[in-house]
Amino acid sequence: MDMEMGMDNDMDIPLPEELEWLEANSHLNDDYEGDLEPPEPYPDEEEEENKPQPQPSKQNQQPTKPTLSIPPKPTPITDPSTSPKTLINGKKRFRSDGSEFSNSDEHAQLEDKRSRIDDLGTEIDDEDWIRYSPPPQNEATEVVEPVVVEAVEKIVSRFASEINGDCIPVTGLDGDRVYAKMSRVEEDRLKKLDVKAYSSGLISEPIHILMQRVETEAFAKALQASVEGQSDSILPGTPVVNEKLWVDKYAPKSFMELLSDEQTNREVLLWLKQWDSCVFGSEIRTTGDEVLSSLRRHSLVAQHQKLSDRNFSRNFAGRFSKESFKGYNGLNQENNDCKAIPELWNKKAKCSGPPERKILLLCGPPGLGKTTLAHVAASHCGYRVVEINASDDRSSSTIEGKILDVVQMNSVMADSKPKCLVIDEIDGALGDGKGAVEVILKMLAAERKSDIGKENVSKEEEQGRMSSRKKHKSASLSRPVICICNDLYAPALRPLRQVAKVHIFVQPTASRIVSRLKYICNKEGLKASSIALTALAEYTECDIRSCLNTLQFLHKKKETLNMLEISSQMVGRKDTSKSVFDVWKEIFQKRKVKQERKSASGCSSISNEFDFLHSMISNRGDYDLILDGIHENTLQLHYHDPVMQKTVKCLHSLGVSDLFHQYIMRTQRMSLQVYQPSIAITVRSLVAQNEKPNIEWPKSFQRYRTMLMEKMDILRSWHNKILPHISRHMSTKSFVEDTISSLLHILSPPTLRPVAVHLLSEKEKNDMAQLVNTMVSCCITYKSLKSDPLPSASRHDAVSDTSMLSFDPPIGDLINFKGYTSGHFVLASAVRQVLVHEVEKQKILKGSINGSMDPIDARSKGNQTLAREENGRPQSSTSGSSTSHAENMRSAKNTSILGISNLITNHVSSASGSTVNAKASVQISSPGDTKKAKKPSSGSFNFFDRFRKSSSKGSQDTDAKNKPATLERDSRPLLFKFNEGYTNAVKRPARIREFLL
Amino acid sequence: MLWVDKYRPKTLDKVLVHEDVAQNLKKLVAEQDCPHLLFYGPPGSGKKTLIMALLRQMFGPGAEKVKVENKTWKVDAGSRTIDLELTTLASTYHVELNPSDAGFQDRYIVQEIIKEMAKNRPIDTKGKKGFKVLVLNEVDKLSTEAQHSLRRTMEKYSSSCRLILCCNSSSKVTEAVRSRCLNVRINAPTEEQIVKVLEFVGKKEGLQVPTGFAARIAEKSNRSLRRAILAFETCRVQQYPFTSNQAIPPMDWEEYVSEIASDIMKEQSPKRLFQVRGKLYELLTNCIPPEIVLKRLLFELLKKLDAELKHEVCHWAAYYEHRMRLGQKAIFHIEAFVAKFMSIYKGFLIATFG
Repeated sequence: MDMEMGMDNDMDIPLPEELEWLEANSHLNDDYEGDLEPPEPYPDEEEEENKPQPQPSKQNQQPTKPTLSIPPKPTPITDPSTSPKTLINGKKRFRSDGSEFSNSDEHAQLEDKRSRIDDLGTEIDDEDWIRYSPPPQNEATEVVEPVVVEAVEKIVSRFASEINGDCIPVTGLDGDRVYAKMSRVEEDRLKKLDVKAYSSGLISEPIHILMQRVETEAFAKALQASVEGQSDSILPGTPVVNEKLWVDKYAPKSFMELLSDEQTNREVLLWLKQWDSCVFGSEIRTTGDEVLSSLRRHSLVAQHQKLSDRNFSRNFAGRFSKESFKGYNGLNQENNDCKAIPELWNKKAKCSGPPERKILLLCGPPGLGKTTLAHVAASHCGYRVVEINASDDRSSSTIEGKILDVVQMNSVMADSKPKCLVIDEIDGALGDGKGAVEVILKMLAAERKSDIGKENVSKEEEQGRMSSRKKHKSASLSRPVICICNDLYAPALRPLRQVAKVHIFVQPTASRIVSRLKYICNKEGLKASSIALTALAEYTECDIRSCLNTLQFLHKKKETLNMLEISSQMVGRKDTSKSVFDVWKEIFQKRKVKQERKSASGCSSISNEFDFLHSMISNRGDYDLILDGIHENTLQLHYHDPVMQKTVKCLHSLGVSDLFHQYIMRTQRMSLQVYQPSIAITVRSLVAQNEKPNIEWPKSFQRYRTMLMEKMDILRSWHNKILPHISRHMSTKSFVEDTISSLLHILSPPTLRPVAVHLLSEKEKNDMAQLVNTMVSCCITYKSLKSDPLPSASRHDAVSDTSMLSFDPPIGDLINFKGYTSGHFVLASAVRQVLVHEVEKQKILKGSINGSMDPIDARSKGNQTLAREENGRPQSSTSGSSTSHAENMRSAKNTSILGISNLITNHVSSASGSTVNAKASVQISSPGDTKKAKKPSSGSFNFFDRFRKSSSKGSQDTDAKNKPATLERDSRPLLFKFNEGYTNAVKRPARIREFLL
Repeated sequence: MLWVDKYRPKTLDKVLVHEDVAQNLKKLVAEQDCPHLLFYGPPGSGKKTLIMALLRQMFGPGAEKVKVENKTWKVDAGSRTIDLELTTLASTYHVELNPSDAGFQDRYIVQEIIKEMAKNRPIDTKGKKGFKVLVLNEVDKLSTEAQHSLRRTMEKYSSSCRLILCCNSSSKVTEAVRSRCLNVRINAPTEEQIVKVLEFVGKKEGLQVPTGFAARIAEKSNRSLRRAILAFETCRVQQYPFTSNQAIPPMDWEEYVSEIASDIMKEQSPKRLFQVRGKLYELLTNCIPPEIVLKRLLFELLKKLDAELKHEVCHWAAYYEHRMRLGQKAIFHIEAFVAKFMSIYKGFLIATFG
């Protein structure tokens, strides 16, 4: 006790010589710890910790302070944890390291006060405030104790209800619980003390006075308490609830206590350290390049020697702390030097700015200590941790404010420790979690933008700037942000994954966990063999939290951990779902280690394995995806299969699963889903191999689905465009099956020469017309695709130019199989050009006809007309360019619509005069038509020709082609009167369609 | 216009292939007592053509004046209302639609549209029929629920509505529906019939068809008239005047399937199976129905197979096709068939050649 008090005094003013001494001490300590396993737990220490006594509670406070060199083992009491702690106080530039962990409420006010003192301190000098700051802290700890202590003294009872007013629960070693009353009087005293302390400012006498008082009181109470403690131990008979979970109780409090993978720990720490220059400003930059590089080196070494024994790593850690300490000293000097050379300094500060990736993403299965690592590492580096977890409101708007507060503001009040944001369970709720991700991404984006702009400015201003502090402050994300998630591949995290530095937590080795568990068991007085603990750790997949909870539960039940019980239902299994990749891996890969061990137990191992797989797959759910993945990857495995029997079975099982799925979906009997995992296990039994499978995400089926949809859409929209009397006979299926290949052949006849239209022979023109007709009736045209030339076309004629004309509904794609060359002829692009024009023309023509006719009529009759016209038209365009001819026709037709009656009159009146002429022209068929085309002035004549056919019953048209039409028309009664000499001879209103057919 | 469409018979009198059926249908119409009809037969045999001709026979040329409607129905299905959209072809006398387009909600479509037709029942004026005709295509793709709902509606509204159902296989139509209809089986045309049609087309087009050429096309056409006429036109485009040994361009997808088949015959291993999977995906992606892929594949494989194995392979093909129709992911089953074939074939090779 004396010794401890002495140490406390030391803590007040850590002098340089003391520091040295302490350092030496700590090394001894470290070495000692490193070399041997702790022989036995120290019951004294524990008793003190838990007994409702004044001294222990004082000491209780002490181990909570972060210690760099305290290993997660009980330390000899002779040089207790105080020595490393003091060391840290000296070494680190933060005065209130401890407060982070002693998060009792009573501290709050004190912290306030302290920070004010600190603010003063910071302004003086680094060295100074290191010296100055400890006192308030000490004061704080000292001041609080009495409150509790004296309260305990008043009334101790096993039942809270027996105590009037406030009480606090105190738990003894044996798990017994008493409630201790807290007295109001003490609070008053506390306040008084506060005021005193505050008014006294920095170190002053009152503290010593206080200390003495506390000491005497403590002594007095120690006697009483020891008596009470005895009575306590007698009291328990009924089981009482122990409120504090072991998980919290034995949570790592310092960096070195962390159980997680050392390399990850270091890298997280390194990452945090990189923020130093940015967050703390360059002056207090204690972690110099040396330290960083040594850290780096360590993590490198750790990487190589990951498998080396723990002893080594512990030694290592000891050395590490020493080095960093030295580094600090050296650096401080360096800092001073640097200040003299501002330019150099600036350069340095710049290169060690905030890390490249400003967000750290920790991910891993639950219970490995991610949150703990984040907290410990952050406070180790002197941050105040602000945690946002799933239980907080995480809607986008609220979280934005919160994050901005933390990340951009410098705290004005409270302690001036910079904050470090820890967003826990960021993958948790999809909708809400996204808010946080979005905000962070937004900030990053903003920063990147401003960085670009700033780059120039800062270069100019660099000269005049003494430190880089200001510059960094203006950055939008100037505080470290640590995000924690379980599932790295959660969809919400996708954007974050790209910008964040990702650390994936791996399971710590079982031995590490077991030794920690053992230590805790010993401390708690629970008997457990290492074998049982190992089994437990393995069973929970190294989830420390669940291990501890299980142990505590057992302890409560006064049972011992027993190998057999672990696999029974006594221990709750985590209901975690593995990622689908893990599931696939399990399916495709045999477990080597387990196999060996289990081979002894024979058939039970098979059932075990089955159980394991079954639960894993059914936990994952999503059988569709799992089976898709199996389908996709099975054939890539190298399993021995001489006559494909296994493959057949595999695919058979997959087929069964498909039938299953379909049946379930159809009948909505979801309960049948439970049989799906066994199908996957069947496949596994066939194809699982020892080697690591190369698993791919099943894309091809999805790709197939989407592409099929696309093509179906194309076909459907095309189908809708085609006139119904054609399209009704053409289903998609029949089109693809029967029509497409022929259609493509028909649409690109090899006989069509790529020459100008007027150079084509008679027959060729006929063919051309027919082709155009076909294209129009099928609603196919060519469209230029500049960016994406039709692959099939480019394959077929390499000569074709780049600005491709391809089929408008891209029907050519439908026969475009990969690795298949079809023998389709592809028209030269010149021909296609011509065809486009022709098709357009034809469409316009048709449109005008349809417009003039009743829409319903148009469907059936218009097409017949068109067909007939089509036959006639190419012949008529023998000599003249077909363009002009069509133009002619069109304009003529348009006029015909406009001035029906006039035309009729014209026709009829001129009929008598030019009958002979017309007849002649018709009889000479094509040359006659040419004549007509060449005489644009006689538009009416042109029309007359046609009109006469339609109207005149008497005129014996000998044109063989038009005969059927005439006959058909003849069957209809249509009477005309005309009076020679009158222009408005026809009284009856008539429609053009009646004349046309 | 393609010849297929151009020379499609418009009336029952002009039908060339199924003259007997056409005559019977004509009699049916003449007797004014038209029952519900179910046309079934392989693709390309002329079901639709006959239906259209029948409609024309019933209602005159007015039945040919159709317009496309994109109709939306609001169906009240108990607790919720469902919006359904479907394209229909409608004339004043009939409505034509493809209920399987509505997917799993086809049931509502069928009921709703028949009710609507019954509501707007045409007034029996002189010479006009007192009913409308509903033409349902691809009835074999209708869900069982839809078919069940169909049978009641068929009876209930039979006074105002006649159904003409059209499908490929009557086995997919429930017994109940079949028994309520007059079943009309439309066979695939025989090769002689196809030749006859081709010669008719050739005459109309004024082409010289060398003897034997039409027969060759007919032989290649798989007894599908559509395919035959298309092939004929293709040949015309490719080369005219015809020569009797002119090459008839094959279907591209069939070529591709035969490539796959030769791949399979060359090597039997999981790796090869993986390559085959890629090719199968290619086919399926291009909208080729998996059933016909499987069928064609079997056909191609049988060509190169020892007679001993043919029976077994056919058995398995049928087995996997059955499963494919029950299931959803066709690729699983086609692939399973390929694997099975590989296994059988490899076993056979080892047994014979050691």
